[in-house]
Amino acid sequence: MTGNKVLIADDEIHIIHVVAIKLRNNGYDVISANNGAEAYDIACAEHPDIIVTDFQMPLMTGIELIEKLRAGEATRNIPVILLTARSFAISQEQQAALNVSACLSKPFSPKELLKSIQDILYQRELAVTN
Amino acid sequence: MLKTQRSLAWVAVTVAVASTGVAVWAQLQDLGNTAGGRSPVIGLRLALYAVGAVGVIFVAFAYFRLAGQVTSIARQLASATSGASHEVTLEGTDELSMAVNACVADRETTLRQYCGELDELRLQVRLAERQKRHTEAIIYSLRDAVVVIDDQDRLVVANEPAARLFGFGTVEACGGPVAQVCGDKHRDFVEFLHQSAQSGVEGTRREMEFVLADQPHVFDTIVSCVYEGQKVSGVVAVLHDITREKEVSQMKNDFVSHVSHELKTPLASITAYSEMLVDGEAGDEATRKEFYEIIQNQAQRLNRLIEDILNISRIESGLIKVSKEPVSLAILIEQQMSMIQKYAEEKNITVSRQTPIIFDQVHADKDMLSQVIVNLLSNAIKYTPSGGAVRIATEVDEAAGRVKVSVTDTGVGIPEEELGHLFGKFYRVAANNKHAKGTGLGLNLVKQIVEKVHNGHVFVTSKVGVGSTFGFELPLAATEMATA
Repeated sequence: MTGNKVLIADDEIHIIHVVAIKLRNNGYDVISANNGAEAYDIACAEHPDIIVTDFQMPLMTGIELIEKLRAGEATRNIPVILLTARSFAISQEQQAALNVSACLSKPFSPKELLKSIQDILYQRELAVTN
Repeated sequence: MLKTQRSLAWVAVTVAVASTGVAVWAQLQDLGNTAGGRSPVIGLRLALYAVGAVGVIFVAFAYFRLAGQVTSIARQLASATSGASHEVTLEGTDELSMAVNACVADRETTLRQYCGELDELRLQVRLAERQKRHTEAIIYSLRDAVVVIDDQDRLVVANEPAARLFGFGTVEACGGPVAQVCGDKHRDFVEFLHQSAQSGVEGTRREMEFVLADQPHVFDTIVSCVYEGQKVSGVVAVLHDITREKEVSQMKNDFVSHVSHELKTPLASITAYSEMLVDGEAGDEATRKEFYEIIQNQAQRLNRLIEDILNISRIESGLIKVSKEPVSLAILIEQQMSMIQKYAEEKNITVSRQTPIIFDQVHADKDMLSQVIVNLLSNAIKYTPSGGAVRIATEVDEAAGRVKVSVTDTGVGIPEEELGHLFGKFYRVAANNKHAKGTGLGLNLVKQIVEKVHNGHVFVTSKVGVGSTFGFELPLAATEMATA
């Protein structure tokens, strides 16, 4: 499943860097943003297949980004994976309400993140096919 | 005996009356006979007169004896009433004396019992009054608000904290209906008292909000029922202000949350890059070297963060080891400027200094003061756009015996409403987050070192889009030595 476009939003440049290498090594196109506001603009312009976003970012937090994405017609159905260093930052109910596909705690394994992305995109493709 | 006396009196009276009657009859007969001849019963007449006289004497004797005893009783009773004597006794062994004495003895026994009971009651009253005073002293000395009401919803006791909380006077409010005393704005509290009294449950607990000195306060309110037998005769409410406890608890939670976030961020990089290296995903030597350097930098960042947290904690708890010595601020500033020079050059920022050569000796912990200066300089560079300038200056006020160090930049500036929070733990200016990353601990550490360790003070002025000046004031070494 290559060629899918992944948007990574994080204010930690090292995290973007390592995730980008991991995903590119596995055939994904990677675009990035340093904060939530920038990520939203890129999502509207580039229509990524999936978004990986940090929870705490300047200008617009990960939650605010997801809320804004869910409110837009073109971005409503983009799957989102949330990365967070605050384990209890978001409840299961909140995740369900915002249609968050997965929530990974920092520190995370790039392998696990890759697997989550693969699973989510596979499920999505199955749903579209059916 | 009294009965015999009475019988004898009756006999004496009867004999006297009968003999007098017979004597009168004989006299009338004699008068009749005198008219017709000589009386035959003259002897009998004389005898009857004699018997009548004896009867009268006996009656008189009995009367005077009885009167004497009654007078004696009256006199002794009068004496007992006036308190001169406590005894009422009739001498003699006659029936009246014995009856009176028995009656008096019986009353005396009863009186002694009453006196004993009265003493016991007086003792209990004294103990109850003392107990009441103790209880009131405890209630009035408590810092928690205490309100006691009876089963008629009247205020029985309230201490000063309660008076302040509900806005009434402790003396004039007592006895008044609690709903009226506490007022409409405390209707919830009054309702809680009623509910607790009705439920009869011991120690009902609820967190309630009150306004105290125009500030919202949270009180842990415990209401207990007072019982008389099976019936609730009143309730006692104790209100403990937990506002500060809740704030501290919230601060602790925020602190743990911040610390875990700040620790996990570099740890996330270390974990991810390590995994990539182990999995062979760093394709060439240059990439592997880059990964190693990132891991090293993130490990150092983690270490700095932990050191900052520990230093703040040590200073706050007074456990840090402080080694004060005479320190030249000029030399210290020179050293720290050279340390951050590379960072300034990378950002194309000019760093200059304006410090006098003399009069800048302070009595300080050199390492800690170095940390203060480097934190202020690196912050100034961090938030100044490329091409800007940072200037560090010292001013000596000899008269006041103080030296002021200020670091001025041409950076992004800080909104005025944020200035008061800048030296708080983990506080970061939201609008400036995009310009640089940080933990929000650097300025807090500066404040702790300057104010807690060196008796100085920190200051900041700023204007958005123009720049900021951060600095601190310390006593000159000579001044500190003189006042020590």
